[in-house]
Amino acid sequence: MDSNKKYWKGLEELDQTTEFVELNKHEFAEPIPIEDVLTGGGLMGKTPRRDFLKALGFGVGAVSLAACQPVPVHKSMPYLIKPEEITPGVANFYVSTYEGQAILVKTREGRPIKVEGNPNDLIGKGGLSARAQASVLDLYDINRLKNPVKNNGDYGWEQLDNFIKDELTAIKAGGKNIRLITSTITSPSTLAVIADFITAFPTAKHINYDAVSYTGIIQGNQNSFGKAVLPHYSFDNADVIVSFGADFLGTWISPVEFIRQYVQTRNNKSLEAKKMSRHIHFETGLSVTGSNADARIPIKPSEEGPALISLYNAISGKTLPGDASLTNNKVAANAIALAAKELVAAKGKALVIAGSNDVATQILVNAINSLLGSYGTTIDLDNPSHQFAGNDSEFTEFVAEMNRGEVDAVFFLDANPVYDYYKSKDVVSGLKKVRLSVSFSDHNDETANICTAVAPNHHYLESWGDDNALEGYYTILQPTINPVYDTRQAEHSLLVWSGSAAKDYYTYVRNNWDQKLLTIGGLTGQKGWETLLQTGFIKAAPKAAGSYSFTYALDSVSQKILDHSKALAAASGSVEFALYQTVALRDGKRANNPWLQELPDPVSKVTWDNYANVSPSDMKKWGYEDGDAVKIEANGYSITIPVLSQPGQAQGTISLAVGYGRTISGPVGDNVGKNTFPLYSLRNGTLQTSGVATLKPTGDNWPLAQTQTHHSIEGRNSIIKEATFKEYVKNPAARSGEEEDHKDYDLFWQKYEHPTYNWVMAIDLNACTGCGACVVACSAENNVPVVGKDEVRRRREMHWIRIDRYYSFDDNGDGGKTEEHEIANLDNFDNVRVVYQPMLCQHCDHAPCETVCPVLATVHSSEGLNHMAYNRCVGTRYCANNCPYKVRRFNWFNYWNDARFENYIQNDHTVLVLNPDVVTRFRGVMEKCSMCIQRIQAGKLKAKIEKRPLKDGDVKVACQQTCPANAIVMGDANDPNSEVSKALKSDRTYYVLEELGTQPGVGYQVKVRNITETEA
Amino acid sequence: MASHSESIIREPLITGDNITYAQITNDVLRPVENMPGRAWWIGFTIASLGASLWVFAVSWTFWYGIGEWGLNKTVGWAWDITGFVWWVGIGHAGTLISAILLLFRQNWRNSINRSAEAMTIFAVICAATYVVSHMGRPWLAYWPLPLPNQFGSIWVNFNSPLVWDVFAISTYFSVSLVFWYTGLLPDLASIRDRATGIRQKIYSVMSFGWTGSVKTWQRFETVCLILAGISTPLVLSVHTIVSMDFATSLEPGWHTTIFPPYFVAGAIFSGFAMVQTLLLVTRKVLGLENYITMFHIEAMNKIILLTGSIVGVAYLTEFFIAYYSGNEYERYTFLNRFIGPYWWAGCMMYGCNVLMTQLMWFKSVRRNIPISWVLSIVVNIGMWFERFVIIVVSLHRDFLPSSWAMFHPTWVDMSVFIGSIGLFFTMFLLFIRVLPSIAMGEVKLILKSTSEQAKKKLLAHGDLDPEQVKYYKDSLVKFDSVEIADYQKV
Repeated sequence: MDSNKKYWKGLEELDQTTEFVELNKHEFAEPIPIEDVLTGGGLMGKTPRRDFLKALGFGVGAVSLAACQPVPVHKSMPYLIKPEEITPGVANFYVSTYEGQAILVKTREGRPIKVEGNPNDLIGKGGLSARAQASVLDLYDINRLKNPVKNNGDYGWEQLDNFIKDELTAIKAGGKNIRLITSTITSPSTLAVIADFITAFPTAKHINYDAVSYTGIIQGNQNSFGKAVLPHYSFDNADVIVSFGADFLGTWISPVEFIRQYVQTRNNKSLEAKKMSRHIHFETGLSVTGSNADARIPIKPSEEGPALISLYNAISGKTLPGDASLTNNKVAANAIALAAKELVAAKGKALVIAGSNDVATQILVNAINSLLGSYGTTIDLDNPSHQFAGNDSEFTEFVAEMNRGEVDAVFFLDANPVYDYYKSKDVVSGLKKVRLSVSFSDHNDETANICTAVAPNHHYLESWGDDNALEGYYTILQPTINPVYDTRQAEHSLLVWSGSAAKDYYTYVRNNWDQKLLTIGGLTGQKGWETLLQTGFIKAAPKAAGSYSFTYALDSVSQKILDHSKALAAASGSVEFALYQTVALRDGKRANNPWLQELPDPVSKVTWDNYANVSPSDMKKWGYEDGDAVKIEANGYSITIPVLSQPGQAQGTISLAVGYGRTISGPVGDNVGKNTFPLYSLRNGTLQTSGVATLKPTGDNWPLAQTQTHHSIEGRNSIIKEATFKEYVKNPAARSGEEEDHKDYDLFWQKYEHPTYNWVMAIDLNACTGCGACVVACSAENNVPVVGKDEVRRRREMHWIRIDRYYSFDDNGDGGKTEEHEIANLDNFDNVRVVYQPMLCQHCDHAPCETVCPVLATVHSSEGLNHMAYNRCVGTRYCANNCPYKVRRFNWFNYWNDARFENYIQNDHTVLVLNPDVVTRFRGVMEKCSMCIQRIQAGKLKAKIEKRPLKDGDVKVACQQTCPANAIVMGDANDPNSEVSKALKSDRTYYVLEELGTQPGVGYQVKVRNITETEA
Repeated sequence: MASHSESIIREPLITGDNITYAQITNDVLRPVENMPGRAWWIGFTIASLGASLWVFAVSWTFWYGIGEWGLNKTVGWAWDITGFVWWVGIGHAGTLISAILLLFRQNWRNSINRSAEAMTIFAVICAATYVVSHMGRPWLAYWPLPLPNQFGSIWVNFNSPLVWDVFAISTYFSVSLVFWYTGLLPDLASIRDRATGIRQKIYSVMSFGWTGSVKTWQRFETVCLILAGISTPLVLSVHTIVSMDFATSLEPGWHTTIFPPYFVAGAIFSGFAMVQTLLLVTRKVLGLENYITMFHIEAMNKIILLTGSIVGVAYLTEFFIAYYSGNEYERYTFLNRFIGPYWWAGCMMYGCNVLMTQLMWFKSVRRNIPISWVLSIVVNIGMWFERFVIIVVSLHRDFLPSSWAMFHPTWVDMSVFIGSIGLFFTMFLLFIRVLPSIAMGEVKLILKSTSEQAKKKLLAHGDLDPEQVKYYKDSLVKFDSVEIADYQKV
């Protein structure tokens, strides 16, 4: 229906007033004064020009002011073509190998940022050492060689290849010797490449040269059993372990594996089964291993031989000459008698080892082990370790050859004898007579520096390869990043120079596996290869253990040992010294790694230095203070080095670490400490680590950078709780305080609800060996800055997790001298007992830090975590003052952008190692352990994407993940079946400073010592 | 004004012959109206060099970071908070003198309150600079204020004593400033009335149009009383809250309920010592001996003795409680003050604060100007060490022996502290040049002329207790410079 309705706008329209009609004629009802504006004074007036100038002036001023603010340009380049496997923000893990251990490499957007143990790895079962954790930093080391070098000038690969090939052809024609000097190579493919090279150049010979060698053991086994091998030890099978200076938890052969084995008879599971191994340790300086021993007896290097002879005599009932020479050390003599008794009682489950590199000593050790039935139970000669194959006499002969002018070409792969050979001068003078010397070092090092040419090798994370550290255990090494610099794998170089047909080293490795190795693991073809690249290793069935009877005549052996001992026994006015490796730096090859330099020594807690360890009694006697520089002279070599008072050091001896005093390693490692390798000596064809030196004070004091300067717990039993194994067996809760009545002060406090998760941690003090792997793992995971020696001296290291180490002194068997004033009056510091306590943010439920922060920068989460909001922090430091555990770390400087710290991490390359999931912290901000919150979030997200609840073990924090001893367990306390809930239910669980009512989230388990009544 | 007849046993508060209202104005304004003398210039040069050092050291800290100080992972506060508490404590005397003594009608305060209040304000400024400069990120110093913001619903933590501190110090500073300035108004008007040219204009603006009418005076006194009422609780609250910065923590040596009264007593103790230090010099240099007399010096020494003894009792209580609590950490902390590596700091603290002030039991010591001056400085050295001991010596060895560490100050630590003293004296020296250092208006209230005539009349009358007469005559000898013969005659 049509509508006739008519709408009107107002009564005026309805009425059609004249006014309306008039106005309705125009477009706009009211006139617009355009004309006035255009014709009037509007444009002509004085003000517009002035206004214009004002506006112009203001505008220009404002714009230029705004432009003064530099806007940082951050280039973020998206993938033009995104690689299929990469999702930005999601980490990829690749299997690879670190020194024979199967590992997982975590990469983000194509760059490796962290190394973690492969959970199936036979050596560490997921555990990794501090050195492995730190290895990723070397990849981005800006001081690596960026291209080949000839005569210390930059060079190209093609030119270098032509040059070396020409030289080799000429040398081959000349018929003089060619030598390949490498540290021990466990890679079958590399060994094959070397074999090919030797085929191409028949005068070539491969010499294994280890800076710290195990020739003594290998030769000893050759002499005793006709097998020149480094045996594989099983500490988990041993009920009684007696070690003579073998630091098997720190530096001896395969410490990660040994830690894992060792704690299996000492951890919670073993204790609950009322089983604990017994470990007796004889050594000169206090090592990590000695500090974990149930009984530790300091002996001088000269007493080691007589002690072993006494032990042999006590076990065998025979009398080798020299038994009497231990009369000077009654304690050691008693301990030997006791050890012998215990070893015999544990026959078949006993193990005796010695760290000595002396063949005779090792033969005697073999004799003892043979008597104890260790072969086939705790020692395996048929499935040996390949980790060290260095041959001291071969290398010594090589140096002589060079000096005789018999060598025309020498190649150094992972070997730096100019630094670490005891007669460095002979190497230097010999090299001058060599026509062609080539180093494969990825850094300019002491040896590379005087070589004709350097063909820089890849970092292992850029390399293809494989490893065979243990018999039958083959691991694969695959690159996780394109080479950062213009380097080339050493094997590739050797292939090129020997004119091999292989296209590249990858093809070579692949062929080697296809032809020889894959079948061992039951794999074949492309599929097998792909499986290998996912599992990381293959394992052959172990070879059957043969039976070994020891028949070597011991008379000449004991005579040699006694001669050695007599030569060592220091004349008056001099001291015996022993050289050792530190857990962090070992032989010093990777001295340019700041994470390792800043890792405190597990025992002394010193960073960035080596020093002479002196017994506190000798310190008093000789009038030294910590840090006093002394001049040490031995073997015609002298160094000036600070002294450190070290309880447990045998009186009248000093211990010195090797691996320091590099002169050409990079800005981090250069001139840190003093080189002690020249103090080595050659005896009976093997390099010896002990000798006699004189000490002279210089009057200087060089303060050491120690992260802990007070060493006793002052009788504070709520920090460290210890029990003897006897007490534990009688009553597992004896010392944890579990049975005492707890007063509950909860009344006053609001209780935090943890509706979903409650993240807590359990740390077993009996499993922790103090190795420090967690510290480096945490630094790598959480971008913890390196601060350098001076800042550590000022007590400002930034580590989120530290390992507190406390000494107590055993006086008359009571085990408990812990207070400063008592210790000051002690005469004898030999009977030191050590306990390690990893200390990190305790994530208290009633956190003292939270209440005092004025700006709510640190708050509690509903998951039981103590959060730190860096952006909100204004830096009053009250939280750190109020933290009873002193775990908060303040950014005193802008460590990421302050020229004074430029040696370390802040350069365009090294920052690539940073974990993008964790922000770096600005100056003036507090930081601390976050319980790896990024990992918790990642775990939760993953579970969510997979539409399943979070499982126990989905989230592993960095320290827990790397711990070879599995001493740290983190998880959800709301899940009664989680590993951590079970661990915390242990009778041994206690909380540090529980009485303060902070309700910490980290539970510790009482340290148990297997101490017998009979020992004094 | 003071025209009432006074008891014979009241000692004269202003001494000297022929002190008239005009004389007072002339005496007090001499430094304000004349060019400064050589002593002032020397003092000002040294002080402003100190202030420049402060500017340099604080700028250095801001540029490079707090790491330039000697702090470490264990000792998170040291000279910074020591200096802060020390200055806040010094600031306490001013308010106590101006407010509490006013309420208690202690007229002798009239001669010293102006300088003491000025000192309060300068000391609080010095303290406040520490609050900002000790922060890791000082450019965010406004974050502890509960300001509405665009960061989302982020608020401050009202549980944190540091937030209470912000309130306490800012309130204290603003109230002290208002009180001080209000008191200045009549004196500023006096200067205005005597000045010419640009100075007159400036003082005219500053005196807020003071007319001097009876109504103005009446309102002035009312406002002063009200402000005194407001300030009185602040005297107690500020240092109470400062003490809670420590007392609410769980650090052994800090976690102590005795802290509030102990800190307040200590603050008054150090504040009076600082007033003593300043006024003993000022009265001499500016020739104000007739207004700041031996009576004042002795009175202040008595307060120093009293508060010093309270502090001493607090120390003993702390030791007893540390022993009696059976808490091993607490016990160790207190033992550590004597047998630890900082034993010398502990000795300075207990020696200067407790032992040295006990000398003031002797009248001859209280009345000896050089000794009083030295002791007043000893007190403030002792009080600095008290804060150092409480802060550094408690922190450096607390619960976990693994973290025990020593604190070594750097040149920046020392420069900031020495510089803050320079800053304080720069401000104080400027103050005595541009503002009357004695509250003229209030001193005129206690002018002795009329009361003295009344007393003379009483003496002439002769039926006073002879003992009281003797007391009065003695006090004249002690404090005054009048001819005793005038009184002997009657």
